[in-house]
Amino acid sequence: MKIRSIILLVGILFLAGCSTTSKIPKSEAYKGIYDEMPVTILIMPPINRSTAVEAKEYFFVTLNVPLINKGYYVLPPFITMDILKRESAYDAELFINGSLSKFGEIFGADIALFTIIESWDKSAIGSFVKVGVEYLAKSTKTNEVLYSRKGTISYDASISTGVGGVFGALADLAASAINTAATEYVDVARACNNYTLGDFPSGKYSPTFKLDGVEMAGKNDFKVTIK
Amino acid sequence: MASCTVQKPLYSWEKYEKASYAYLKNSDDESTQNLIENYEKIIDQQSGTRNVPPPGICADYAFVLLEMGKTDKGKELLQREIELYPESRIFIERILKMLDR
Repeated sequence: MKIRSIILLVGILFLAGCSTTSKIPKSEAYKGIYDEMPVTILIMPPINRSTAVEAKEYFFVTLNVPLINKGYYVLPPFITMDILKRESAYDAELFINGSLSKFGEIFGADIALFTIIESWDKSAIGSFVKVGVEYLAKSTKTNEVLYSRKGTISYDASISTGVGGVFGALADLAASAINTAATEYVDVARACNNYTLGDFPSGKYSPTFKLDGVEMAGKNDFKVTIK
Repeated sequence: MASCTVQKPLYSWEKYEKASYAYLKNSDDESTQNLIENYEKIIDQQSGTRNVPPPGICADYAFVLLEMGKTDKGKELLQREIELYPESRIFIERILKMLDR
């Protein structure tokens, strides 16, 4: 428990200062976004290379909100999924290296967002989930990568019962097992998406649109612990 | 430190993500009804700074209604999506044409 507490404390301190920044301003790190000023984003079905089959769905339902909150128009996920399935285009792996102009034509999308889930590992005891994931936002006009980040995110899904002592620890363990067994994994994917996409330059519906280029960009390749 | 400043969110979301997950997973009466309730709250009781439904919500609500055979209300919501977000026109008009076929 002690080691876990130390890891957590370091993680919290790490996040508290918003200190995972690079030394490059966003206008430089994400130059393509500032040049193209995309409005509409199409979320491609996540590519799941992990052994956890269900991770794809956890990610799929939590990708649009952080980008919408940044001020973008994100195409409605359920309708687009239906159309992609009808068009036999549900496997995003087929398109990641190809021309994306069709997605611009059919969906009116300026950007196609690809997510690659490399790993999704649950700890045997306790409630840590460690996720390896990469995000690539590609222009449908030029096929250029306009935004990319890759990271390892450790998420502690535990909840505290607030009972102290040995029994408290056991109660905590039981509560956490129940907690993570349920749909709380949606929270894990949400935390990954919020953290990684939180660096996206503001879109046209945000009051900071065109004004955030001077902010320091987050690290392109990162490791973080979120509780 | 500028990025640490907390801004009031553009939109309010209720329990949208968990309701979406349950619908994706089960698509039964309970999860469908729960998702519909979430959509309605997001549309009618919006408390974000923009004070309008977020992108895609009217359109995805329309999709759920169309799946239930409620075509008229579905089409109405698709039109509302275009009014709120003109950049959705290319895609949404394609859907409306598919429905009229």
